[in-house]
Amino acid sequence: MQEERCAHLWEMADVTYGFIIMQKCSHCRKISNYFTEELKPPMEKYREKEHFWNYMDSTQSIRFNLRCSRCNTVVNFEELLGLMMCTGCDEKCDVNIQMKELAKERTWIYVAFGYLPVEEKKQLTKEKIAILEEYFNQRRKSSKSKIKIVTHELVRDPTNCYGEVIMDSDMLALTTDK
Amino acid sequence: MKLKEIVKKLNLSELTKIEDKDINGVFISDMLSDVMGSAKPADLWLTVQTHKNIVSAANLVDIGAVVVTHNKKVPKDTIELANRFNVIILSSDLSTFDIVSKLIEIGLKPK
Repeated sequence: MQEERCAHLWEMADVTYGFIIMQKCSHCRKISNYFTEELKPPMEKYREKEHFWNYMDSTQSIRFNLRCSRCNTVVNFEELLGLMMCTGCDEKCDVNIQMKELAKERTWIYVAFGYLPVEEKKQLTKEKIAILEEYFNQRRKSSKSKIKIVTHELVRDPTNCYGEVIMDSDMLALTTDK
Repeated sequence: MKLKEIVKKLNLSELTKIEDKDINGVFISDMLSDVMGSAKPADLWLTVQTHKNIVSAANLVDIGAVVVTHNKKVPKDTIELANRFNVIILSSDLSTFDIVSKLIEIGLKPK
């Protein structure tokens, strides 16, 4: 007998407010970040394997799961640091190229990025990115536009990317021109 | 309630292109993480934030329109970005509290 597949209807669940901590290793200069629920973000230096982490910055953020209201399947997004809207700053970037194509269909692109260092932290899978995209499109009940979510791996030059990050940080600071 | 009716009755300034649409509720927050977690599509988002990334948050969750309150000046680059992505930004010199009072007066009440 064929198992009936649920046409998932996602809702945000287990929303946790906390901080994203940015830190730098004084030994290898790598930058790392992570999510903490602690009310006062930890700022002390500490050692983790070969790294000596020093606090750099923190920003308020949320962490959540998605739960299907039909079958109760829960998908966690602990690998998701945040979402960034592509603003088309780099003509050669694959994200921008996709955005130009999809803009005709009123589809806007957001980049999902995970925690740093990318090579040391578990990153979002394609399947989870697809679920996240499905959720945000299901949430757009009245809109004539859609959202597409892509992996950060498509960003050509992350250090010079002027995408707009959805993050409670630097909103009261001056922004530099491109 | 229709957006243009709200704009007219509350005397809101139109900072971007505006299209008429249904507004279903009101969301008040100055935190983008809040908007991402809790705002509903077609909400009127009241905020004092004017940074460009309000466009990113509003667009993601399909906000009906953003109303910047307390006579905060919205930078040109925020308005330009909003127009590119069809995000409506309005402004008022009233406080958020006063705007909410007026919205309730004209019939946009909490459910």
